Amino acid sequence: MFYLKYVLSELRRRRGRTLVTALGLAVGVALVVTVNALSAGLDRAQDRVLRPLTGVGTDLSVSRPISFSRGGNGLSTGERRRLVQENGPRPLALTKLGKPGSHFSRDDFVATSQLSFSSSKVSRIRQLSGVAAAAGGLTLTTIHVEGKVPKRQQQAQQQFGAGSVAAGPPRNINLSSISVAGVDVRHPGLGAVTPGQVSSGRFFERASAAHEAILDLSYARRKGLRVGGTVHVGGKAFRIVGLAQTPLGGQSSDVYLELSRLQQLAGRRGRVNTVYVRATSASAVDGVSREIKSAVPGASVTTAKDLADRVSGSLVDAKNLTGKLGLALEIVGLVAAFLIAALLTIGAVAKRTKELGTLKAVGWSQRLVVRQVTAESVVQGLLGGALGIALGLAGAELVSAVAPSLTATVANAVQATPLPGPFGQGQPTSASTTIHLDAPVSLGLLGLAVLLAVAGGLLAGAAGGLRAARLRPAEALRHLE
Amino acid sequence: MTNDRLYDLRSVSRVYGERANKVRALRDLDLTVCDGEFLVVAGPSGSGKTTLLQLLGGLDRPTEGEVLFDGRDLATLGDAELTGLRLRTIGFVFQQFNLIPTLTAAQNVEVALAPRGLDAAGRRAAVERALASVGLEERADHLPSQLSGGEQQRVAIARALANEPRVVLADEPTGNLDSATGEEIVELLRSLSNGGGRTVIVITHDPQVAEAAPRVVRLRDGTLEEAA
Repeated sequence: MFYLKYVLSELRRRRGRTLVTALGLAVGVALVVTVNALSAGLDRAQDRVLRPLTGVGTDLSVSRPISFSRGGNGLSTGERRRLVQENGPRPLALTKLGKPGSHFSRDDFVATSQLSFSSSKVSRIRQLSGVAAAAGGLTLTTIHVEGKVPKRQQQAQQQFGAGSVAAGPPRNINLSSISVAGVDVRHPGLGAVTPGQVSSGRFFERASAAHEAILDLSYARRKGLRVGGTVHVGGKAFRIVGLAQTPLGGQSSDVYLELSRLQQLAGRRGRVNTVYVRATSASAVDGVSREIKSAVPGASVTTAKDLADRVSGSLVDAKNLTGKLGLALEIVGLVAAFLIAALLTIGAVAKRTKELGTLKAVGWSQRLVVRQVTAESVVQGLLGGALGIALGLAGAELVSAVAPSLTATVANAVQATPLPGPFGQGQPTSASTTIHLDAPVSLGLLGLAVLLAVAGGLLAGAAGGLRAARLRPAEALRHLE
Repeated sequence: MTNDRLYDLRSVSRVYGERANKVRALRDLDLTVCDGEFLVVAGPSGSGKTTLLQLLGGLDRPTEGEVLFDGRDLATLGDAELTGLRLRTIGFVFQQFNLIPTLTAAQNVEVALAPRGLDAAGRRAAVERALASVGLEERADHLPSQLSGGEQQRVAIARALANEPRVVLADEPTGNLDSATGEEIVELLRSLSNGGGRTVIVITHDPQVAEAAPRVVRLRDGTLEEAA
């Protein structure tokens, strides 16, 4: 094809200008590739942080927190009664535990800082539009009291705090507490623990789930428990079938049991205090959140976005920086590159007045001349795109090779409560993790780079073509004289 | 030479600039050129020769008067019609050859054929024909930088002839050549008229070129005087 041969020969002839124009475009394109790759790397890093928080496939979690800031005034009469019923004082009547000197053991289950609600709410949420699946969960603290029944005199002293014995818990009596979460094994992807979080052993098997337990890895290490061993909860023995990795900033429990078994042990049949919800699509999440709040008064709905908002640290700083400065860099880089390409093309057209005038004299139409100038620019743009992609890939590769460390700190999902002890699992804590940044380059990004380069070439070609179009052949030829 | 009028210029003036900067390149010029004629327009630099050539080639329009080509006033034609006229009917030869340095001799000739929409074989045949007519078929693959001045001008003439035009307009075709080569080029141009039946109009300030022409008109300060 003659026109293409002409384009290529012109670009070869003006190697210097071609290279400068292509390099100008390449810098702009490389900036876009590198910054976008960095941004994708940061997204991926954030996703790695958030995935354990959200659980596999969980888009929203629903709870009914107690509003301590209002002194409980935000609760209805029924809710207050249930709160007292589920968490109210259980006096340790030592005289009723057995004969003085005999051994006793007792387990009590108390709720966390969340009110429980009926399992029927789970069914109701499941029926809402935009909900793909929903499963209930129950998180409790079991308080284990064990010791010897004190003698009557000791009891009196301990009860009234008189005499030489200081007031406080009875001697020879041990108290311990562990957090326990019930998991609906019919929905293994939705719950306090999911198969993906099990780092050793396995997840619950439906047939035998009532006798199985999964332990939090750090709890198991602390207590020296292993898969295949036994753990006691509420006075019952459970076979340890798996150990689960504590999710960063997640609401971990020491022990995970099958939901209905925990409800039975804790005397809370048909009660749950968390609902895990999967939406039909990401776009449905906000709508589902609103519907749940309307369907379950007082419900607190936490979405993946809320979780993302809880992440802080250099990861977030870098992401914010990339989001703001990166975009500005991309725009400035591209504008500068396009401007350079356009100015160089206009300059080249000015230098080629003689040639373009000759073309018009020998019968080239204005359209053909403009097309030729634009085609040269587009090829330059493609060359710049190729160079830019190479530079951008090198930049992204450099980032991946250096793999800078970023920290992500995630505030605990459990709401702060001023009441330690039976109402909660202690104060919420923050967890941090270090993530090595990479800069992945997708095919889509490469496509964008090529498009930008062609757009830059077209823009420069349009500028040069406009100049060429304005050339009157007589003036162009007179220019020679 | 036939007596059919190909060009008929009536009271043609061409003015550049405005007010204080006004330059009157041509003044009330009348000229007739017959079909198949070999005409030399002589005159010193700045006399308006190139302006006249551009009006004849449809590259410019007169400020006043009419430039009739085959009975049609070129001033009334649109850009597309003038482009078509230049492509099919008029061939240009320039003093500095105006070849594209990155293209071979054959490709430089092809430049004039490309807008015609011929297929590759048709273009190749036309290129070969044009180069053969100027005796440069052996130099088809040479770049302009590999050709002598005379050869470059021959390539330019081949480019002008590629579309087999009725008219060849040459602007100082020997200006950049030595006298011997210049004579060859003039002879070549004259043969286009005598043997080829084309109308050839050569603009020059070279008296030797003027001597070789059967008809010479002289331009002085934009006005025309017929030479003896």
